[in-house]
Amino acid sequence: MSSSWPVWLTGCVVLLAAGLATALVPRWRAREQTLEGAWLAAHAAIDSATVSRDAATTPSVEAEQLLARAEAISSGRGGRSAAREAASLARRADELWRAANAE
Amino acid sequence: MPSSSRRPRVHTLVEWLRWLVLAAAVAMLVVFLVAQGQRADVRYGQSPATGTIAGGSAGEQTGVTLPSVQQLTAMVAASPVVRLPGSIAMWDTDQVARAIGGADVHILVTPPGLSQQQREEVDSVDNATVRVIGTEVSGDVYKVASGNLADWRATLGRADVTSGLVLLINKVAHGSSVTHAGSTDASGTWRDPTAAELDPVAADLRSTGFHAAKGATLSAKPTKAGAQAFGTGGALYVALPAPPPGAPAPDYGPALGRLFPDTPLVVMYGDWIEYQGPHAADFAELAAASFYARFGDRLSGYAYSQDQVLGAYLATVTDIRYAGLFDRPLPYRPADPLRIALPALPWLFAACVLAFLALSVRSLLRPAKASRSLSRRTGGDDARLAGLTALAVEVSGLTGARTDPALARAIVALRAAREALDERLPRRRVSDLLDEADRELDLVGRRVEFPGYRPAEYLRGRLA
Repeated sequence: MSSSWPVWLTGCVVLLAAGLATALVPRWRAREQTLEGAWLAAHAAIDSATVSRDAATTPSVEAEQLLARAEAISSGRGGRSAAREAASLARRADELWRAANAE
Repeated sequence: MPSSSRRPRVHTLVEWLRWLVLAAAVAMLVVFLVAQGQRADVRYGQSPATGTIAGGSAGEQTGVTLPSVQQLTAMVAASPVVRLPGSIAMWDTDQVARAIGGADVHILVTPPGLSQQQREEVDSVDNATVRVIGTEVSGDVYKVASGNLADWRATLGRADVTSGLVLLINKVAHGSSVTHAGSTDASGTWRDPTAAELDPVAADLRSTGFHAAKGATLSAKPTKAGAQAFGTGGALYVALPAPPPGAPAPDYGPALGRLFPDTPLVVMYGDWIEYQGPHAADFAELAAASFYARFGDRLSGYAYSQDQVLGAYLATVTDIRYAGLFDRPLPYRPADPLRIALPALPWLFAACVLAFLALSVRSLLRPAKASRSLSRRTGGDDARLAGLTALAVEVSGLTGARTDPALARAIVALRAAREALDERLPRRRVSDLLDEADRELDLVGRRVEFPGYRPAEYLRGRLA
């Protein structure tokens, strides 16, 4: 009877490990995807801002600074808040250029 | 699409199975852990007999009051034999007088069932050469113990302590080296019962299987203990008070055995129990010897009722029966499912664990399902992306300097949306990017001089 103890112990450890893995891995994976999505949006915003800058006839120093900051942040590849900040900076730069060239 | 409608059902089935397997594993673990609390069972063959009674709890102490030690000492000094009221021990005065000879021997006789303190008081009556408590004979540093069935029969069945008294007096008063008394239970002290004595007993046994004579302390037929001891048929019980020694007493056992052949028959004389019936030759002596060897000392000093004595005797018989010594059929005992399942339990548990592990790994290896709530690839986003891309291509030939940046920004957004779709990123991200492309293309469409290039109109036309 005592010889079955290793089976029970190993079984319990495996059960716990499998349960934790099924609970944590999808969560971790979803976090990764959210981060990836945030950076994708940030890069898209920077790219659109670049397009607006290239099309602009009147330069805007403030927009240039904002875009530069956004690019600096995106080169560092941080977390979600960094991606969000880069995206908002790029969007503000985009708006500045568009407003300057609307007429 | 049959595969997409079937897959969720298979998936929920697998998920259910996973939880089921986990529950089974946990249940088995609990059973295993509970089974670890098993206690050692020292009864041979799982005998159900319970013959244990705590000392003093069975009313074996009669609660008599004794004179003080000083009074007892004075009484013993005044007379060679002091019998306190309630004493039951009897003896053959001729034999004892012969044994005493000229020695100065004083005998103190008390009733049975003294408390521990009263026993100590009796022991401290120093001038008593021999003390008899109930039928327990002691003196000096010695105490008489019955050594064979005839001695037990004489002392417990008839309260006859002659042989013990003679032995002890020889030892204490004359320094005899004899340590075993010869049997004094001569056959002459028993006789066959007369027809008048036998008939009422036999009639009772025929009708109820139970006869308690006047003066017997057996109150009821021990049905349950009897069935355990003698099988479902039970036995016939005759309870008689201890016949006084001296006159020959009727010996009911053999006579009733002739009347009721092949039936277990238990006859009690006082505390003495005789068995007649099947296997009597093999079994009666063994049962009596093991019972009185264990309890005889206790029975001689205390006043147990016949109910208790018979209960303890039947427990002994049950133990002997369950020891399987006499090929008596044991009652049916259903197999304990836990005992049978226990050796297989670890392997069932391991199988459940492996199944749970396999199902968990399977669910982890299906990323589409794992993040189902976040990114389900739907036809809607795909169609919208395709439509907007087609619009961007078509409208690109019509743009001018004012609309080029908007088109370029739309293409940037479309490319990001395509990437998000391919990477199965969250759906909201995809639709945000598509909305942005939509806005930019709307800007382009409004400025193109041809109608029908705004996304809303274009997509509606494409669908139609």
